[in-house]
Amino acid sequence: MLKHRLLTPRPPILLGFGGLLAFLHYNDERRAVKIGKDSYTGSDTAVAPIIGGPFTLVNSENQIVNEQDFLGNWVLLYFGYTSSPDIGPDQVRIMAKVIDTLEAKKNLKVLPVFVTIDPQRDTPAQLRAYLKEFDPRIVGLGGPVSAVRQMAQEYRVYFKKVEEEGDDYLVESSHSMYLIDPKMKVVRCFGVEYNAEQLSKEILKELKKHQVNA
Amino acid sequence: MSLEAYASAKRDEIHTDVLLQARQACYKARDAFYSCLEKHSDKKPTEIGSVGLLYPTECKPSREDYVKNCRVSWVKHFDRQYCKTKRTQRLLDDKETRRGV
Repeated sequence: MLKHRLLTPRPPILLGFGGLLAFLHYNDERRAVKIGKDSYTGSDTAVAPIIGGPFTLVNSENQIVNEQDFLGNWVLLYFGYTSSPDIGPDQVRIMAKVIDTLEAKKNLKVLPVFVTIDPQRDTPAQLRAYLKEFDPRIVGLGGPVSAVRQMAQEYRVYFKKVEEEGDDYLVESSHSMYLIDPKMKVVRCFGVEYNAEQLSKEILKELKKHQVNA
Repeated sequence: MSLEAYASAKRDEIHTDVLLQARQACYKARDAFYSCLEKHSDKKPTEIGSVGLLYPTECKPSREDYVKNCRVSWVKHFDRQYCKTKRTQRLLDDKETRRGV
């Protein structure tokens, strides 16, 4: 007798289940985008988080510099450090080559900027000595740790000390370069997979696109 | 520390061991050491380098030269990279003999 009563689903349970199904169906219909209705803007107009922002740092000539000083120029920005064993020098060399190519072949001036993510060891004097071996045009920026950290946060740059043995350490980071337009807006981000030729081509593309829109 | 204080403080010491000449000397010593490893890859590695890299006694002089010319963190970085490439190479080469393992 008991078993029989438990097996038959009671009317309230059935009604509740039916109601749940009806609600789910209604919710699905409400959320669905009918075919042909909303226009889907393709992936090339993806909305990315706005990165960048104001910063105040010290350059390799011990002068205080802020983002206003760069307005009106296209900027190729790299966050690196002078004690990088291999990737750092390679990236700076690529940056120098790209600046050269764009100026010599296309007469386009892009300002290369190197911001150190190792401000404790990379003093203005250190930056000057390091960067002049690559290209005298590269602007080196550093400063107190708090100022650098603030800029890195605005540009969403990850950096962390690793292999620390007292004063000797490496800094892990993404090693990417940022292309910034004359209004100090970040237009593109390039990773280490770009060589000098590809980078020049891509930057040229962005510059041309900007001229069309201007 | 305020920016003005930072800018005006005189800090003229430069770490020359990361500048171009020092870097090139380091790369040269590093390449010499690794080619020594390749040459003597059939010998039993008895010496311990850093981060688990082992090398035979034949390469001891080139190892000392390498360590002298490069920073400790750089030595560790390159050694780790070398071990990683060796391991991937081994995985790729042994594809035929270690099926199913």
